[in-house]
Amino acid sequence: MGAPPLYLAPRLGEWLRSLLAAPELLHTLTDALGSPLNMVMPDQLAANLEQFRSVYGTHRLSGQVLFAHKANRSSALLRRLAATDAGVDVASLGELQHALGAGFTPDRITATGPKNPDFLWLAARTSVTVVVDGPAELEQLAVLVRKFTLPRTRVLLRLAGFETSGVRVLSRRSRFGTPVNESEQLLEAVQRHSDVVELVGVAYHLDTTSVTEKATALDGCLRVLEECRGRGLRPSAVDIGGGFGVDYLADGAQWERYTTALTAAVLGTRPPLTWGGHGYGLRNESGTLRGSLGLYPAHRPVAGPRYLDELLAHPAASFDGRPLAALLLEHLYDLYIEPGRALLDQCGLTLARVLEVRAPRNGGALLVRLAAKADDVGLEEHGVLMDPVVVPRGRARPAAEPVAVHLFGSLCLETDLITRRTVFLPRRPEPGDLLAFANTAGYCMDFHATRAQQQPAAAKVAAWQQAGSWRWCLDDQYWPVTSMGGVGYDMGGAQ
Amino acid sequence: MRYDSITEAIGNTPLVRIDPAVHGLAHIDLYAKLELLNPFGSVKDRAAWNMAGPRLAEAAAHGSQVVELSSGNTAKALAVLAGMYGLTFKSVTNRMRVPEIKDLLLLLGAEIEELPGQSECLDPTATDDPLTLFHRTLSEPGSAYLHTDQYFNPRNTEAHLAGTGPEIVKDLDGRAPDWFIACVGTAGSSTGVARVLREHDPAVRVVGLVAAKSDFIPGIRTIDEAHQVGLFDPGTYDSIEAVDSDEAIEGMLTLNRRCGILAGPTGGAAYFGAVRRLKAARAASSARQSAVFIVCDRVESYMSYVRRRRPDLFGRPRRANSPADLTDAEVQAAPAIGVEDARTWIGTGAPLVVDLRSPYAFAALHIDGSVNIVDELFEELLHGGLPFSRTRPVLLACPVGEKSARYAALLNRMGHPDVRSLAGGIIAWRDAGAPLVRD
Repeated sequence: MGAPPLYLAPRLGEWLRSLLAAPELLHTLTDALGSPLNMVMPDQLAANLEQFRSVYGTHRLSGQVLFAHKANRSSALLRRLAATDAGVDVASLGELQHALGAGFTPDRITATGPKNPDFLWLAARTSVTVVVDGPAELEQLAVLVRKFTLPRTRVLLRLAGFETSGVRVLSRRSRFGTPVNESEQLLEAVQRHSDVVELVGVAYHLDTTSVTEKATALDGCLRVLEECRGRGLRPSAVDIGGGFGVDYLADGAQWERYTTALTAAVLGTRPPLTWGGHGYGLRNESGTLRGSLGLYPAHRPVAGPRYLDELLAHPAASFDGRPLAALLLEHLYDLYIEPGRALLDQCGLTLARVLEVRAPRNGGALLVRLAAKADDVGLEEHGVLMDPVVVPRGRARPAAEPVAVHLFGSLCLETDLITRRTVFLPRRPEPGDLLAFANTAGYCMDFHATRAQQQPAAAKVAAWQQAGSWRWCLDDQYWPVTSMGGVGYDMGGAQ
Repeated sequence: MRYDSITEAIGNTPLVRIDPAVHGLAHIDLYAKLELLNPFGSVKDRAAWNMAGPRLAEAAAHGSQVVELSSGNTAKALAVLAGMYGLTFKSVTNRMRVPEIKDLLLLLGAEIEELPGQSECLDPTATDDPLTLFHRTLSEPGSAYLHTDQYFNPRNTEAHLAGTGPEIVKDLDGRAPDWFIACVGTAGSSTGVARVLREHDPAVRVVGLVAAKSDFIPGIRTIDEAHQVGLFDPGTYDSIEAVDSDEAIEGMLTLNRRCGILAGPTGGAAYFGAVRRLKAARAASSARQSAVFIVCDRVESYMSYVRRRRPDLFGRPRRANSPADLTDAEVQAAPAIGVEDARTWIGTGAPLVVDLRSPYAFAALHIDGSVNIVDELFEELLHGGLPFSRTRPVLLACPVGEKSARYAALLNRMGHPDVRSLAGGIIAWRDAGAPLVRD
C-alpha cells in the first residue's frame, strides 16, 4: 500500500469507547444472538435530551422535545425516553401504538406524515396532537371526529414553501405541508371546524442542512401565527421539526484529506478510492470536476444541540433582525423540536462478524466478507462514510500494518457492498473478528434492514452501565426500571 | 482624462511598488497590481465586460436577463453593466456570505437566488445537484438568458491575456517579473496573466493561492473547489499554496495601514502568500528579483467579515449607563414585584408600564395600558440619562423577568427611586391568567 491510509475514524463518546474496550462482551453477545447484532444505549439518549434541554434553558424557552421515532424502532430507547420529560413524534399507526405502549401519554405525542384512516382515528381517539398536512387531511379529520364523536383534536398545521423578500432562498420542493401562500384557506378551515379541532400552532420540517433556510421557515411561521392571532385563534407553539445533524467523525483533518483524495481519484490523478471507481456523485468531465459530492457532511462541528442554538440565535429578517429565540420568547410561544438522528447520537452500534478475508491475486485491497447485508448497516445508504472498528477475537494480536479492504455483505448479489469505499483499517481483520460500526442508532440500524434471501435481521440488545460494569438485556425486555435500579444480567469482568 | 462610457475606464490599473521596509525582503522588488481601482471596484470588471460586452446589445434587443453564478465581484460588475443596457441581472449563489455585497447587489437592482443547502436525509441516488438543475433551466427552449459562465468562459481568461498581463509587462519596462502570485477564484486572472508573462520569459514562477480547506476567504476557492472550475489547470502554477482567513486579514491590514492600499481580504491573502513564498525563496538566490501580486478589490465591503474574525480591531469606547456594567449582586437586588401585586399596583394608576419586548410581540399581546420600548432602544435611551421623571413610578416587563431586572437595577443606579421589575415577566403574567390584550 503506497499512499498513507486515509482513515475516517468515528467520533466515540465515553460509553461507546467503553463498550468497544469490552471485546469479550461483544463476542459473547454476537456468538449467542448472531451476526449482525445491534446494540442500543438508552441512557445515552437521556443524556442527549439534557443537551437539547440546556439549549432551551439558555434561551429561556419552554416546549416539547419530541423524538422522531422513525429513526429507530427500538423499544428500549422509546421506553427510556418515556421516563424523561420528552415527547415522541410518530409517523405510522405502528409507531403510535408503540409509543402509547411504551408509556407516553397522548399529551406527549405528535402524529406526523402521511396518515391512513386507521392512524388518524387512533390519533384522534387517544387525543394526541395531529400535525395536519393540508386542507384535505383537516377535512378528513373533522369528518372522523364528528362521525365517531371523538374529543376535540389538537392540531399543528404543517407549512412549506416559505418565501423571503430580497434574496430568494430556493428550497428543495417538499411532498409535505401546505404552501405558506395558501395557508389562508387552511386557517379558514380550522375556524370552520373549530368545534372539532383546536389549533395548537404551526409546524415545518425542511430536509436541509442550511440554517438560513430553516431560519426563513421559522420567520415565516411567526408571521402565520400572527395571522392566526389576528383571526382570533390562540396558537401557542411552533414545531420546527428536526434535521439538526450529527458530527460523525473524530478528526476534521481526516475528512478533509479524504474528500481531497476522493476528488483527485475522480480526476484520475491518484488511484481509485472506491469499488469500481464510484465517485459518490462527482464525475470527471475532460479534466474538470462536475456533479456534487453526495455524502453526508460527516465532520460537522456545529451539529445537534449546537445547531439548534445557532438557529435560535439567527436574526429574523422580517422582524428587524431580532434573534428568533427572542421572538419566540416574547410572543410567548412554546418551541417544539423533533430531532431523530441528533437525539440518537452515540446511542448505539452495529456488530458484524468477519467470515472471509481474501487477498486478490493481482494485489490491491483485501476482500472482506461479513455476516451482514448492506441493508443491516445503513451508513452507506445515508452517505455517511465512517470506518468500522476491528474487535479481534481472543487475545489481541500484535499491532500489524494498516490494510486497505473492501467490505462485502453476505447476499448472493454483486451490489451487496457494505460500502463502495476502500476502507483503511489499522490492522488486518481475520475471520472470526468483529467489525463494530459505531453510531448507527440514528437511521442506520433498522430503517432499511430486510430479510432478503431469508437471511436474518439483526437482533437488538439494550446495554447500560451499572456500578462500572456493562449490563444488557434484549431490546424488547428493557423497561426503565431495568436500568434505573432494577435487575439486569451482569456480565462480570466486562467494563 | 475624458471618456464616453464608464466601461472605457476598465483596465490600465497602476502597478505600485511596496516599500521594502514594509515587506522586509531585501532583494525583492514587490509590486501590487491595483485592480481595486477599476470603476466598479475589482479585477472582475475586466472579465465581466469582456464576457458580457459583445453580447449586451443583442441581449437588450431580446430583453434577456443576464445570469451568473457569483456571490461577489463578478455579480457586482455584471449588475452594473446589465443596468447600463436596461437589462436585469440575476445572481445565483450557494450562499451570500458577505452581507455588504448582498446589500449592494440588491441596491443595484440585482435579483439574488440562493441554492438550497444539502439534504439532511441524504438520498445518494439523487444525482441532480442544484447546479445541474440551474444549467437545465438556462438551456430550456425559449429561455432568454445571457449566461456569462465565468468559470468556463474563455473570454474571462482573455480579458487578462489582452489587458492585465501586457499592462504588467509594459510597466516593468518590457520585462516579465520573476514571480507572479495570484489567488485562484475563477482562475481567469491568474491563467491569463501567467500565460502572457511566460511568453515573455518562460522562467517566471507562478504561485497560485487557494483558501485553507475548512476556511472561507471571499473570492478564493479551496483546492477541491478549484477543480470544479473549467478554466483551472493545475499546470498553470509552479506551486499551489493555501492561505487561511487570519493570514488574509493580517496581509490586508499591512496593505491598509502601512502601504496606503485599501485592499480587501483577497488582496491581503495575495500579499501574505507572496511575502511568505518570497521569504522562503530568498535563501536560494541573492540576485535582485521582482514579484507582482494582484490586489483584487477594496476593504470597505468586508467590515462584517473582518469584525466576525477580528472583533479586537473594532474596540469601542465604553458608554455611560450600560447594562453590561452591572454586577450580579446589583441585578439580584433589583426591586421586583409579583404578578398579583403588580396588578394591584397598576390598578392604582400609579406606574408607567414599560414593555421591553419587540414591537411585533407587543402588537400581538400586551398588558393593557403599557408602553412599548424595545430593549435595544431602551438601552440607547439610557446612555443619555433617565428617560422618565423621577416622580413617575415605573414597572418594567420582559418575557421572563431577566432583562427587566437588569434595567430596573440600572435605573436604580441612575437614581430612579421607584422602579420595579415584573417577576417572571409576561410569561408569568399569562400563566397566572392575568389579561393580555391586542389593540
